[in-house]
Amino acid sequence: MFWKRTIPIAIVATVGFLTLFGWFVDEPHIKNFVEDDATQWYDILASFAIFLGALNLLKMQSQKILKKQTGWQYSIFAVGGFIFAIIAGFVIKGNDAIQWGAHVTGKGTLFKWMFEFMFTPLSATMFALLAFFVASASYRAFRIRNFEATLLLISGIIIMLGRVPIGIKISAWFVLYLTILGIGVVVNNAFKNKQITLGFVVGGLLLTTIAGFWMGWPVDQPALFYLPILQDWIYNIPNVAGGRAIMMGIGLGIFATSMRYILGIEKSYIGE
Amino acid sequence: MKDKQFWIGAGIVIALLMVYYLIGHPFFLSNRTVMLFAILLFSGTLIYYTRLAESGESFFLRDIPGLKAVEEAVGRSTEMGKQVLYVPGIMDMDQVETVAGVIVLGHVAKMTARYETPLNVPVSRAIVMKAGREACRESYLMEGRPDLFQDDMVHYLTDDQFAYAAGVNGIMVREEPAACLYMGKFYAESLILAETGNSIGAIQIAGTASQSQIPFFVTACDYTLIGEEFFAASAYLSQKPELLGGIKGQDMLKAMIVGVILIGSALRVFHDFGWISWDFVNFLTVQ
Repeated sequence: MFWKRTIPIAIVATVGFLTLFGWFVDEPHIKNFVEDDATQWYDILASFAIFLGALNLLKMQSQKILKKQTGWQYSIFAVGGFIFAIIAGFVIKGNDAIQWGAHVTGKGTLFKWMFEFMFTPLSATMFALLAFFVASASYRAFRIRNFEATLLLISGIIIMLGRVPIGIKISAWFVLYLTILGIGVVVNNAFKNKQITLGFVVGGLLLTTIAGFWMGWPVDQPALFYLPILQDWIYNIPNVAGGRAIMMGIGLGIFATSMRYILGIEKSYIGE
Repeated sequence: MKDKQFWIGAGIVIALLMVYYLIGHPFFLSNRTVMLFAILLFSGTLIYYTRLAESGESFFLRDIPGLKAVEEAVGRSTEMGKQVLYVPGIMDMDQVETVAGVIVLGHVAKMTARYETPLNVPVSRAIVMKAGREACRESYLMEGRPDLFQDDMVHYLTDDQFAYAAGVNGIMVREEPAACLYMGKFYAESLILAETGNSIGAIQIAGTASQSQIPFFVTACDYTLIGEEFFAASAYLSQKPELLGGIKGQDMLKAMIVGVILIGSALRVFHDFGWISWDFVNFLTVQ
C-alpha cells in the first residue's frame, strides 16, 4: 500500500505544488526545475516508453498475421513498413556522402525518400479526407430539424456568403427583403391568421421599397443587412462570447482537476 | 462556518502569508500577487466543498446526458455482442485531458468487466498505453473479473496523428464496434474518427476540452461532453462524495467568476468614462 499508493500521491503532490507555486517564485533552481528539468525527465521517460509501444505494435500485428485474423493482410503492410523504417533509419543510408544522423533529413537518402514519397502523401491523403467528412457533417448539422439547427443553418449561410467575393455584391436590400419574408413565416406560425401575415409582409416590403428609393439603393446600406458586416458581427460577437464561456469552463475544469490530483483527492489514476 | 477545521486552516495560511509578506517576501514575484490569491481562493473553495461532501452533506448536481449514455452504450454493445472502442485522444500524459480520458477509461472498463463486453483501446502514446493498461487492470480486478482482462485490449498504434486516425478508422470499419467513445485531447482527426464511427452506425460519445474540436463532435456524435463536463465525468461516474464536492465547488467558482465579470464590466465602464482612475482589467491581467 505504501509503495503503490502513498509514494505516488506524494510524488504527484510535491511536483504539482512545486510546478504551481514555482511560477510565483524568483529562484533560479526552482525555475530550472519547473521549466527544464521536469519536462526533460518526462521526455526521457517517454523515449524509453516508445520501445514498449513499438514492441506492442509489432507483437499485435505479427499475431494477426500468424493467426490469420480478420484483416491480417493489412498487418503485412504494418509489419513491412515497420521493418522498412528501421532499415532506412539504422542500416541503409542510401547516400554515402551524408553522415549517419543527418541522413534523416539529408537529400538522396533512403529515409528521406521514404518520408517524402510514402509518409507525406499518406498523411496528406488522410488529411484530405477531412474535406469530404466536413461536407457530410455539415449536411447533417444544417438539416432543418429544430430552431437551433435552423439558426445554425442561417448563421452558416451568412458566414459563408459574407466571406466570399459574391457576398460583397449581394445588396443589403435583397437580404432585408428575404428577412421580411422569413419573419413573415414566423408571424404566420405565431398568429395563424392570413390577414395579419399578409399585412406584415406587404407592409414590410412596401416600407423597404420606399426606404430604398429614398436612400438610393446603396449596396452596403442598411449596414445591419450587408452580409460582410453581418458575418463579421456574428463571428466576433456571439461566436466569441460563446467560445469564451466554454473556455472559462474548460479553464476551471482543468484547474479543478489538477488540484484534485495535487491534493490527492482524485486517486483513480493509481487505481483507487 | 460549518467546517471549523477548514476555517482555522485557512486562517493559518492567510496569517503565514501575511507574515511572509511583512518580512519582505523574499523570492516572491510581487506582480503575480493577484494570481496567487486567485489560486488560493479557488483551491480553498474546492477544498471546502470537498470536505463538506465528505462530512455527509448532499448536493444537487444536474444530469449530464452524455455520462448517463456511457452505460447505455456499453449495454448496447453487450446486447449486440460487439466491442466498445475507446479512444483516449492523441496526446501524451502531460496533458490533463489525456489524464482525464484515462480516468474515464477506468470507469468504462468497470462497466465492460461487469457486462463481459470486449473493450478495444488503441492509443497513440506509449505512456498512455501503460497508464491505460493499469487503469483497466485495476477496474477488472475491482469488478472481480481479472480473467477477462488482457494486456492487449489497450494497444499502441502510432505517435503520428493521421496514421493513428487511419489505424483507428481501420479498426472501426473492420470490427464495427457498437459503441465508440472519444475522451481526451483531439485535433484535426476528431472529425475523421467521428464521421467514420457515424458511418458504421455506432453509438458515439465524445468528451474533450479542445475547443475547436467540440463543434465536430457535436455534429457527428450522439452525445458530447463539452469542456468542464468532461472533467466532471470521473466524479459523476464514480459518485464518490469527495469528487462530487469538488464539482459543487467548481460551480460555486463559476458563480464567483460571473460576479467578477459583472463587477469588472461596471468598473471598466466607470474607468472609461473617467469616473475612477483604477483600471480593473489591468489589475486582473496576468503579468
